[in-house]
Amino acid sequence: MSTRFIGTSPNRVGGFGRVTGLQEYVADIRLPDVLEAKLVTLDCARARIVSIDKSVAEKVPGVRLVMTAADLPKPMPRFGPQLEDRPVLAVGETKYHGDPVAIVAAETKDSAEEAARLVRVEFEELPAVFTVAAALDPNAPLVQDPSLRPKDPLASTNVLREHRVGWGDVDAAHADCVVENAYSFPMVTHFAIEPHAFMAAPEGDGIAIWSSIQHPNWLQKIMSKLLELPLAKVRVYAPDPGGGFGGKQHTKYEPLVAFAALKVGRPVRLILTLDETFQAVRRAACEIRVRTGFSADGKLVFQDVKADYLIGAYCDIADRVVGKGSYPAAGPYNVPAVRILARSILSHTTPSTAFRGFGNPQVNWAVESNIDEGARALGIDRLEIRLRNLARKGDAFIPFDTPSDGNWDQAVRRAAELIGWDKPLGPGRGRGIAVGIKSGPTTGLSYSTVRLLADGSVVVFAGTSDMGQGARTVFAQIAAEELGAPLDAITIVMGDTAIVPYDQQTSASRSTVLMGNSVLMACRSIQSQIRAMAARLDGLDESKITVERGVVRLPDRELTILEVLKPGLGKLGGELIGNGEARKDAEPDHPLGGAPAFFEFNCTAIEAEVDHGTGDVTIVRHVTVSDVGKALNPLQVRMQDEGAAIQGLGHTLMEHYIFDDSGRIRNLGAIDYRIPTSMDLPLEMLSETIENGDGPGPYGSKGMSEGALLCVSAAVAAAVRDATGIAIRDLPLTPERVWRALQEPVEQAGIGRNAR
Amino acid sequence: MSDTGNTLPIEITVNGRRRALEVAVHHTLLDVLRDDLELTGTKECCLVGECGACTVMVNGRIVDSCLMLAVEADGAEIVTVEGLARDGQLSPLQQAFLDKGAAQCGFCTPGQLIAAQALLAGNPHPSVDEVQEGLAGNLCRCGCYFQITEAVLAVAEGEHR
Amino acid sequence: MQSFAYERPATLAEAVALLDAHGPDARLLAGGTDLIIRLRDGSATPRVVIDLKRIAELCPAIRENDGIVTIGAGSVMADVAASEPVRRHFEALAEAAAVVGSVQIRNRATIAGNICNASPAADTAPPLLVYGAVIVAAGPQGTRRIPITDFFVRSGVTTLAPNELVTAIEIPVPARRMGAVHVRRTRRRGHDLASVTLCCSVDETGVTRLAYGSVGPRPVLCIDESGVLADPDGADEAKAAILERMFADASPSKRSMRASPEYRLAMLRVLGTRAVRTAIERLATERAVET
Repeated sequence: MSTRFIGTSPNRVGGFGRVTGLQEYVADIRLPDVLEAKLVTLDCARARIVSIDKSVAEKVPGVRLVMTAADLPKPMPRFGPQLEDRPVLAVGETKYHGDPVAIVAAETKDSAEEAARLVRVEFEELPAVFTVAAALDPNAPLVQDPSLRPKDPLASTNVLREHRVGWGDVDAAHADCVVENAYSFPMVTHFAIEPHAFMAAPEGDGIAIWSSIQHPNWLQKIMSKLLELPLAKVRVYAPDPGGGFGGKQHTKYEPLVAFAALKVGRPVRLILTLDETFQAVRRAACEIRVRTGFSADGKLVFQDVKADYLIGAYCDIADRVVGKGSYPAAGPYNVPAVRILARSILSHTTPSTAFRGFGNPQVNWAVESNIDEGARALGIDRLEIRLRNLARKGDAFIPFDTPSDGNWDQAVRRAAELIGWDKPLGPGRGRGIAVGIKSGPTTGLSYSTVRLLADGSVVVFAGTSDMGQGARTVFAQIAAEELGAPLDAITIVMGDTAIVPYDQQTSASRSTVLMGNSVLMACRSIQSQIRAMAARLDGLDESKITVERGVVRLPDRELTILEVLKPGLGKLGGELIGNGEARKDAEPDHPLGGAPAFFEFNCTAIEAEVDHGTGDVTIVRHVTVSDVGKALNPLQVRMQDEGAAIQGLGHTLMEHYIFDDSGRIRNLGAIDYRIPTSMDLPLEMLSETIENGDGPGPYGSKGMSEGALLCVSAAVAAAVRDATGIAIRDLPLTPERVWRALQEPVEQAGIGRNAR
Repeated sequence: MSDTGNTLPIEITVNGRRRALEVAVHHTLLDVLRDDLELTGTKECCLVGECGACTVMVNGRIVDSCLMLAVEADGAEIVTVEGLARDGQLSPLQQAFLDKGAAQCGFCTPGQLIAAQALLAGNPHPSVDEVQEGLAGNLCRCGCYFQITEAVLAVAEGEHR
Repeated sequence: MQSFAYERPATLAEAVALLDAHGPDARLLAGGTDLIIRLRDGSATPRVVIDLKRIAELCPAIRENDGIVTIGAGSVMADVAASEPVRRHFEALAEAAAVVGSVQIRNRATIAGNICNASPAADTAPPLLVYGAVIVAAGPQGTRRIPITDFFVRSGVTTLAPNELVTAIEIPVPARRMGAVHVRRTRRRGHDLASVTLCCSVDETGVTRLAYGSVGPRPVLCIDESGVLADPDGADEAKAAILERMFADASPSKRSMRASPEYRLAMLRVLGTRAVRTAIERLATERAVET
């Protein structure tokens, strides 16, 4: 069966708006009556709020509201996707540098800024914890009030939760070679080019909220509960975000803005500065200790992983990140004995949240680096050792769970081929290879509605958030394929909870699979209505007619869908409506709440050159191969993989928060927080996909877009080691850090030393 | 110190159209374009001249409009992303960006287009290095850099008339 | 940002008068790439901002006359990097100007502004020191010329009087053939502030001039007249010893986020060694071209 749209790369739906500047992001939408808001924060991490004097601020001309915790309901309303621990405004105490204590709403940005400067907060800095060690100290101040989790034995510690996964008996396992090292993964931030933006407007007996949110329905649910309004009276508009990467998944300041809007009776808009986004969202840092046991022939005997994730002052979705991210930490390998202990450690820092990779990059960094070292210790080729252990399709590499769903070795061999693994290396160069795996969604629910209009054009309602990954285009391609409509006659409607049916969330690379299947189902429903129509028109039995890919096949001829639709609708006209539902129900007995719908698998291979004098690492060639089932839009797939790879190079080579001793972020903003520019790219990037049609999504597709980030660090560090002989176990590999490591003597396999 | 009432009249030509307006002296060109003229195509992000999301052309040269006071632009000719298409036709660069997939989330795209337009005006046949250096002041977190470079080179090679 | 009074003088005399009248309450605005950031973050709160860009006498021209290249104070980095006389006579200055920020920044940031800000990391400072630039300053008392070696005091401070402004930078065309290079250390290949910025020239008489910045409160110029550094066949140890003496005054900040003192000092040595080598090579090329 040939396809007309699937597997092609039509121009992005929504591309026109992006290249003309007509696309409206939240900050571009200004309601006529809107007040501009500004947050008031303290130059301090944790502090006791002694008093707030708003009298001077309130007198600034144009100021309509200065709101503090005192103006909000008591007890302070709290929210959060996992724990309802985050207050709408800090009450009594700020818990991290940037935790807002007040919000100002004024007629102009100038007045709001001025008034925010004039809010006088008397505060007292309190002892706080900013590192794993400090948080775990028995005398450490508690980040969270123990009363928030009364039945939890860990409530009197800064350990929010422990996640244990395992099988076999690690302690009884016999290994010929054991590699044990400690690694660290830094605190990094999303740095979407669009800072978070929020707006709320009272609307009759309800409220309208605009947000750069990735999960509009989840936001709606939280707002409905906080404001004690029925869901139907909370309308969330979610324009396409200007980059999300997970940092815009969950509710942040929408409640604050909503309460402000309701209090003042007018729309209120809050646009964060870039600096404020660094204070609002980040990835969990992590300290990982890995013991890997190998037999003499390089087979993995056991994996013993301890990962302490440093999450922030409020849970957000951070604990889920820890649990889900650490779950496949043993890697895409067949390992007879595994023990994983991952802990969410609270700290007085920016709340960590979802970030592309969702907890996997941190453990991957450690586990893959250990395998690299094991190979060296055993004298086995580092590619070969992976092929020897890689799970084959159908292997239950995590017992009783979703088995391997891809020919992963194919991706590895292809990556090795593309990097020229067996070719001689130039002087000063090294190669590294690594694999990464991430679990797809474990539960899910995506509704969609497709309307086939009288002239054959189509409207698709799908609640996915298109933040650049190209969801709109994919759904348009599916509708075009199934209904035979030209792509430019398809409108995709997203981002309005009053119009678009429910979608659980846009995360875990799920949307092509879940929403895609939902749209497919809706199209199939329309197809069956067309079939019934054709049967009626021709006086035939439905069983004699098939409708597939826009073509209606009758016993004696073929028609397009439109050729049936027009006469079928008749004089009154009208339309056909199809609904789709893709559901993945929870499995309460599963440690993750459900088995993964698919896995994202990626192999990354790097050739790097290291300047021994300066520590500069140049990526000469970056190869990334992902197992995607079917690339519905190959160009978009390539862009996601290359984009993820470049983002991975960011935390590998240059990104990290720098704190002072009081927990204040020193490198707020773009000058001292470095992300890759167009001049920081690999000299050559090769990205390919493996497509075996073995995914659960439409046409055999799997989800993708996070895979190519997962193992970048391990591959780069392996290449650096290959080039220099030194192992570095702390990211990022900045020039200074590489230089420092080069000054130390080359070490043997064993316990690694943490560089500063 | 807070003299928020201090304004001055300026005349700027924006996308070929002459505009006379009264602006606050401390407002940047970015503020005035977005808030006073409602040309929201140019974006605000870092506000320190690092990210390039606010890039516009002033008298034929690209600048970060967040680092320029509107009053400094008095008498100048400004081109923003809204001025790239002519008579409803996308510019070759805009079309190339679409065809090469050079926009993902699109937030950096207006700035990239303006920077690329200026690059090609000064150097009609740039090398890959020259493109990457010419656009180094435009950050893309989605990581579209390779596709953006392809789009610019495609226009340079005359693929998009 | 908070508001201010905005002045746009048309003549140098007007500008000087304004500066004199308002003193520390005034800030000069040329390219704005530094000032606007300070206005926004509140680290500068002037009552008056004096925009210099309409002043005829400060026009951004770069002219060569009688053995002196004069860079007008309004000249932006892009112009300096592209200027034919600068590229011909002051290769390292063109190199330095070409790496300040991005194209957007270089289209606005002036070289005069760069040196008046007196950031120790100013990339144009080391080449200006090596080439022996002279700063022309105008004040109520008239015009004076300040050798660049007498210009920088420490971060943010120059020897300009509060009521003086720079009108031009004059650089004598080198009397001798020389090879020169500008190098720097950054955290990524993309635009960045330098953690070490360094310029080295070697001339045909064997004199080496080496200036470096971002490793102390102000950029430093050192001269080696022994001929050892400039000697293409000179022993590495002998050169290293001279470089060590040159770097003895380096005192990198302990508080900097960009790089630690140890790394800066080590990179000073690495860059210094590499720059000497490149300067020698460039001199050889110069000589080869002419013979």
